[in-house]
Amino acid sequence: MSAVLEVTQLTKEFPSRKEHGGTFCAVDHVSFALGQGEILGLLGPNGAGKTTTIQMLLSTLGPTSGSISYFGKDFFQHRSEILQHVGFASTYVSVPHHLTVYENMVIHGRLYGMSAGERAAQSEKFLKAFGAWEIRGQMFGTLSAGQKTRVTLAKVFMTSPRVVFLDEPTAALDPDIAKEVRTFIRRQQEDQGVSILFTSHNMSEVTEVCDRVLVLQAGKIIADNTPDALAASVSTAHVYLDVGDGLKRTVAYVQSQKLSYQLEERWITIEIDEHKIAELLTELARAGVVYSQIWVERPTLEQYFLTISRQGRKE
Amino acid sequence: MKIALHRVVAVMLRYLFIERRNYVRFIESLFWPTMDIMLWGLASVWMEKQHVRLPNVVLVMMTGLVLWSIVSRAQLEVVMPLLEELWQRSLITLFATPLTCAEWIVGVMLNGLIKTAVVFAFGVVMVWLLYTLNVFSVGWMLLPFALSLMLFGWAVGFLGAAIVIYVGQKAQNVAWMLSFVFAPVSGIFYPISVLPSWAQKIAWGLPLAHIFEGMRTILFTGTLPWGNLLVGFSLGAFYLFLAISLFLFMFERSRRYGFDRL
Repeated sequence: MSAVLEVTQLTKEFPSRKEHGGTFCAVDHVSFALGQGEILGLLGPNGAGKTTTIQMLLSTLGPTSGSISYFGKDFFQHRSEILQHVGFASTYVSVPHHLTVYENMVIHGRLYGMSAGERAAQSEKFLKAFGAWEIRGQMFGTLSAGQKTRVTLAKVFMTSPRVVFLDEPTAALDPDIAKEVRTFIRRQQEDQGVSILFTSHNMSEVTEVCDRVLVLQAGKIIADNTPDALAASVSTAHVYLDVGDGLKRTVAYVQSQKLSYQLEERWITIEIDEHKIAELLTELARAGVVYSQIWVERPTLEQYFLTISRQGRKE
Repeated sequence: MKIALHRVVAVMLRYLFIERRNYVRFIESLFWPTMDIMLWGLASVWMEKQHVRLPNVVLVMMTGLVLWSIVSRAQLEVVMPLLEELWQRSLITLFATPLTCAEWIVGVMLNGLIKTAVVFAFGVVMVWLLYTLNVFSVGWMLLPFALSLMLFGWAVGFLGAAIVIYVGQKAQNVAWMLSFVFAPVSGIFYPISVLPSWAQKIAWGLPLAHIFEGMRTILFTGTLPWGNLLVGFSLGAFYLFLAISLFLFMFERSRRYGFDRL
């Protein structure tokens, strides 16, 4: 997979007010690449440096050091040419409130050099795709948070970008609309080969959408892996059994395998590598254990996130 | 430095669309000049009736007022678009596009030229309606002076914008006040010789003194003072160059700390 974006030793230091002449390092020598058609998640606790990183990738914040290149070209030498192919949407920044939805789309299209026909066609296509066509005549400032988000997303994709940065794109959306947005994002990736850098505090969403996740903490990348691999790195699966007959045999087997467990009346909760669940159930069946209810809780990205957040606070 | 015309047009349309709905701001841009024309005009009519030894006092005062409106309007039309972006938290959205700062500057200046021309024309019409005076009674000669005033108005605007782009919204009052800092030493309603000698030195270093003295020369003598025009235009262009350079410098400095802090 060829890289559309390469970031090398990107650093951002701000002057620190607490110490005269000191600096605060918000992004600390970060290096990563975004592949063609890849959806890369950018996770981290508040203050980890996610938004600072994205702003540097958009040139709305100048880096202290490091390099950024898109499509093999240096970003600082070819800024306008590169940004022609880059889109950005964030829950935290806005578009002019005193323009209508359609005016915002048209002016945005002009900034990207689209012809009048293209602006009209793409505005209609993407406003309809995000269910915002009926509100095209309304002032942006009068829209609900969810409507604003949908319009902002329509605006991003109307210019047919090759790289898109989405900063908490579904934060203000109802669950059904959020699901549609995720489906749309996946379709853009599959059909158009769009590469997307995606931040979210919704871990299940990141797991669903992202091919790979970078985890930032205190300005540094501490992990770079798939969502499942990250989840498995800090947590194991939990198997919950409501044992009808054979509780002692169950406990004996679990202890022989040196597995952690908890007992509450007839319920036993067993902590186990998810790849060994099948073996556990097979052995319990062989031992004649009968259970009336079972459910399995797989390791989640949220558990990983909670673990690193706790570690970060301790430090 | 490459400027993309379609992006300049996009900037012009962005602010034009915002303005056309803001009836209050449009009315305000005509209200204050009207009030000034009425107040100063009536005062000068009274002065004329007192047989003040100053020919055409009403015409001189009104022409000064209408020309001054070019400076204040040109300044506002640079600062207001920037403040709009800060108030609406849309500055990052704007500069996360291929738009360059230079293209934004050109778009804002062209928009300002159109709006200032409208306000200037309105002032000329109001003076005619209220006092049956024609500001252009001396012919086209006032136009090059008007253009020089436009240059300095833009310069003051970009000076204010340079402060706002670095300090943020809390500096907006400074931006409003800036043109009035220069008013006492501009000779809008009185000759520069009225000022104390130290203030005269400051005044002659600014284009406004040359332009308003030149205006009075035209009104009193009917001749075009080329010296005042050339010095006024050159100083206006020089200060505009300095102010735009300062704005570009402060824009980049502000980008170092991030636009979201504004």
